[in-house]
Amino acid sequence: MTVAGARVGVDVGGTFTDVILHGAEGRVVIRKLLSTPPSYDLAVVEAVGGLAAGPAGGPVAEVVHGTTVATNAVLERRGSRTALVTTAGFRDVLELRRLRIPHMYDLFWRKPPPLVERHLRFELNERVAADGTVVRALDDGESRALADRLREMRVQSVAVCFLHSYLYPEHELRFGAILAEELPEANVSLSSEILREQREYERSATTVVNAYVRPLMSSYIDRIRSGLDEIGIDGPLQIMQSSGGVMTAEDAKQRPVFALESGPAAGVVAARGMGQRLGVDNLLAFDMGGTTAKASLIEDGAISRGREYEVGGSMSAGSRLIRGAGELLRIPTIDIAEVGAGGGSIAWIDPAGGLQVGPRSAGADPGPACYARGGVEPTVTDANVLLGYMPAATVADGQVSISAEYAEQAVLRVAEPLGLTPLEAASGIHRIANARMTRALRAVSSEKGRDPRDFALIAYGGAGPIHAAGLAEDLGMRTVLVPAVAGLFSAVGLLFARPEFHEVRTCHLDVDAADPAVLAALFAEMEAKLVHALDGYSEVEWARTADLRYGGQSWEVEIGFPAGTIAAEAVAALRARFEDEHERLYGVKDQAGSPVEIRALRLAALGAAPTARSFQLDGACVAGSAAGSSRLIHIDGDDVETPVRTRSSLGDAPEPGPLLVDEYDTTVVVPDGWSARRDAATGTLVLDRGADGH
Amino acid sequence: MVTRARVDPITLQIVGNALASMADEMATTICRTAHSTVVRDGMDFSAVVCDAKGRTVAQAVSVPFHLGSIPTAMETLLARYGHRIRPGDVFVLNDPFDGGMHLQDIFVFKPVHLDGELIGFTATTAHHGDVGGRLPGSSACDNTEIFQEGIRLPWLRLYAEGEPVEDVFKIIEANVRIPRMTFGDLAAQVAACSVAERALVALAERHGAGPLAELMDALIDYTERLVRQEIATWPDGTASFTDYLGSDGVDVCDVPITAHVTIAGDEITADLTDSAPMVRGSLNSTRSFVKACVYQAVRAALTVEVPNTAGAFRPIHVLTKPGTIADVVMPGASSMRGVTGFRVLDAVSGALAQLLPDRVPAAGEGGNTLAIFGGERPQDGWSDGGRFIFYELVVGTWGGTPEADGNDGLTNPASLAANIPVEVAESEYPIVVERYGLVPDSGGAGLHRGGLAIERVWRCLTPRTSLIVRSDRVKHPPYGLAGGGPGGLSTNVLRHPNGSEEVLAPMFSIEIEAGDVYEHRTAGGGGWGDPLERDPAAVADDVLNEKVSAEAARRLYAVVVARDGTVDLEQTTALRVERRSA
Repeated sequence: MTVAGARVGVDVGGTFTDVILHGAEGRVVIRKLLSTPPSYDLAVVEAVGGLAAGPAGGPVAEVVHGTTVATNAVLERRGSRTALVTTAGFRDVLELRRLRIPHMYDLFWRKPPPLVERHLRFELNERVAADGTVVRALDDGESRALADRLREMRVQSVAVCFLHSYLYPEHELRFGAILAEELPEANVSLSSEILREQREYERSATTVVNAYVRPLMSSYIDRIRSGLDEIGIDGPLQIMQSSGGVMTAEDAKQRPVFALESGPAAGVVAARGMGQRLGVDNLLAFDMGGTTAKASLIEDGAISRGREYEVGGSMSAGSRLIRGAGELLRIPTIDIAEVGAGGGSIAWIDPAGGLQVGPRSAGADPGPACYARGGVEPTVTDANVLLGYMPAATVADGQVSISAEYAEQAVLRVAEPLGLTPLEAASGIHRIANARMTRALRAVSSEKGRDPRDFALIAYGGAGPIHAAGLAEDLGMRTVLVPAVAGLFSAVGLLFARPEFHEVRTCHLDVDAADPAVLAALFAEMEAKLVHALDGYSEVEWARTADLRYGGQSWEVEIGFPAGTIAAEAVAALRARFEDEHERLYGVKDQAGSPVEIRALRLAALGAAPTARSFQLDGACVAGSAAGSSRLIHIDGDDVETPVRTRSSLGDAPEPGPLLVDEYDTTVVVPDGWSARRDAATGTLVLDRGADGH
Repeated sequence: MVTRARVDPITLQIVGNALASMADEMATTICRTAHSTVVRDGMDFSAVVCDAKGRTVAQAVSVPFHLGSIPTAMETLLARYGHRIRPGDVFVLNDPFDGGMHLQDIFVFKPVHLDGELIGFTATTAHHGDVGGRLPGSSACDNTEIFQEGIRLPWLRLYAEGEPVEDVFKIIEANVRIPRMTFGDLAAQVAACSVAERALVALAERHGAGPLAELMDALIDYTERLVRQEIATWPDGTASFTDYLGSDGVDVCDVPITAHVTIAGDEITADLTDSAPMVRGSLNSTRSFVKACVYQAVRAALTVEVPNTAGAFRPIHVLTKPGTIADVVMPGASSMRGVTGFRVLDAVSGALAQLLPDRVPAAGEGGNTLAIFGGERPQDGWSDGGRFIFYELVVGTWGGTPEADGNDGLTNPASLAANIPVEVAESEYPIVVERYGLVPDSGGAGLHRGGLAIERVWRCLTPRTSLIVRSDRVKHPPYGLAGGGPGGLSTNVLRHPNGSEEVLAPMFSIEIEAGDVYEHRTAGGGGWGDPLERDPAAVADDVLNEKVSAEAARRLYAVVVARDGTVDLEQTTALRVERRSA
């Protein structure tokens, strides 16, 4: 859609609120403000108002907001008093979860308590069979009696999840209607409205999280809306989703679960958007912050989709196969792999004399030792300062001053016992951090049958540009992109996001015998539902997919389904496409003629992409150190006096490394064997590895 | 301790990471492509990378019970094929008398070569849903000799220099009930081995085959040091513990499992030679599996994170006597030896708890329950000849720990099983799950309460359906520790449509009919510490959540919970004083 006036993105985290304004004539301005907990909405309104009133401002056409408010409510257990109503005999599904443990050999691990305790979980004597037929009808009298009970128990929000409601939602709908009559003050979340998909635990858990955060998110969004209205900003408010799309504020109040964990998603959306502007379609997005590093794959300009997310879980599990550490959400999300290695990760020596990095982090407080805020343990950032990759100076508008002396003292704590010099130990810490982060990059590429050498690495987050070239070398990659304002890149993603809505229908069809009319009817049903959610958006694009698997498997492979009338040929072609993708992903396909099932159909509706007007990030932040200086860096045992540049001093012609580009809150390391140039249109630095580089 | 030429500690960590990443990639491949529910949802598989000598250098997250399996199989493979291993070969095995564990676990090993030189192995083992034999699913507690349990594969080539060995595929196809499922899972295992093979070759190209071998050596030594250093901090001593199986697989009887555990310096020894002689049914365990159980018990007591390499097990010694339930000899049946493993773990942990009271929790449920439904499904176009085998796992609950209550409903830490979603079970198999949840008043009383038992109830929809069940703890409950009470007992009941019911043994194989309802309860976890010391508010919370009844609160904890859910402190104090002086 084309929007007259400025667009504003505002990203709220626990410590900072980042705000970005894209002016009508293409200029971009970014500001970082302190967040205002517990009333996060105050900083949001203030930040938007401040930029709009500034020199680049003007009338605001639209505000896009990404928030951790809902995520934090779950992590800190500050949601509403919520009840769960289930089919008789299944009250404990939520608490039993899938029974997995995230940590092997840890007999002291505690399962997180359920968001809805047992005394707030109720059963109704109804039952639907696996084919969707009613075995026991829902009883109105029993339902109304339960509504009375919920009122007595002062329940604010109710989640409802009946068995097989993905096939037969009528019982949930009927009970929802009864609650609306009997208990109008409570919020009601029906599992068939949130996630129309098989698997009762996943559906229950997702619906419960929705119910748990809904009253809180609803009032939060209302406060922002009225705050914006008061300062005369009446453009629509959009909320970022974990899928990387946006939804209307009204929709977010109904289905806030889709807004959880939108921050990392926004970074990937920004990476894709920047890739499009640079004409690079195959990217590995790499986001390295203080405690974690995240990786995600963008292939042919498309983001890799995920289906599940665990709030508070992904960090602590050793493998992506092991689940159970956090609250499971089955929502459209972006496939992001995460490892516990970031700038603040602490280096330590295990009892057998092995040097380890992370997952413990110095966090924001006290932070790395070199910040001189009381931290004494060596971190990855301290190692980077000793190696000369980061300047021992004042950075981030004077907010942080870095001490090389403190960094060295900290690194000595691991260097001495190992008999290494501080520089050797620092180099080791840097390389071990890289080895850990490589696992995240591999998890989204080679573990899924994609060769990282076919992709460019796009690096952001405060520490990403320091490590990017080294990681690329480890993976055999030849190109690294470092966008301007790499440290605030998630905020950029808010402005690139499209409206996005998803529906799913579970089915069980033989791919060779599937009736096109049945598929068409399911797609039509989903479309009718989405058209409603899309009210107000124009230029809608539809994306159909089908989940297929061999008979007997339990993991499906998602296959694209052509648009237009559903013809028999399109259905027939599904088998071959599935078998090819299966072979690509896992290296095998079953014997020819093995049964293949369609287990679900999915429909995504995408609104128009934001305007393609120019996006000039260059001047968005104050640049780093002065041009013309140099710094000693330590690489593989050699000390190399390395020129320090500013981004704006680089031009379209590649310049050979080694080079350092100091910026507002990060440094771009261009090693020997690499060259760097600046893309004039976007301000992105493009690092290329020479033919002789290894 | 062996010291060797110093290897760069940084490169060592980096190579360790790369190897662990390969093993993870293998596990992902198996999990996502496997066909049988045991592999998919039970995570009953292992993926390992070995050096050229066959020693484990990385193992993926998978069932701890497999910890000892690969080394034993590797020994027999090398003994058999030694210098006849060629690039492109893939080897297969399931025979417990040739290095396997039980027939359901099929091993697939692939040698890895660089420029014709052997540089390592990639190895997987996975539990298959059916390998033929007397009953669907192959496992039955009342199998009395190995010949009833399915096809036996001693070490054979599945692929020779890259080409499939058709004869082997044909003989497997002729002996299993659902060949497509077996071949699907075998293909997943081969794919996993190939994925890691490519990565191991790339790693060797980068570091050189010679230096990589040295690094792998150093990684094994490094792991050994980690374990030795912690065991050295444990007090020296010996302790013994006997726990029981409640069936020999055929009849109800007491089968003792005795562990004598000795800590001496930086080594630990578990002696199981005093355990019962081999039993009639299929509960007999290979020595390799008993070793895995001991490794799990010791590893769980360690506080350091230890990479999974061969070095981790060097300071741990296991003694067994051939001809006992802990060391099966021909022609003993072993398909259901899993429950014996759980009991070995309970016995070793019970002994360890006496030596390391702060590191060992009370007993959990005593092992996942296996219920295998097999029969002919109604015609619906989704079956292979109408036959179905539904492997149902009822997954555990934990005992109270020195720090906290036992988890209510969580897989036994020795397995990594997940439950099978009710909606998936009902839509894929002709079965209805009528109830699934926690059982009030089943957790052992204690300062830290044991986890509640789990109940699962199935209604059978098909005639002449085979039902094979392996459960236990019907007579001998999971033990409490430090004054905590035992967990609730397990039960098995069959209800017929005419209203009659029968109480079933813990292990059985029977035929049931459409309309029959089978109800199973696991045991509850044992309690830890004196129940009279438990915080009355925690007891009241359990009463509010209907995990403990008001009556049990009074009887077991001497806590009086009033009608409004609050603790009557006066009465509670009086009752506790009275109870303590009694």
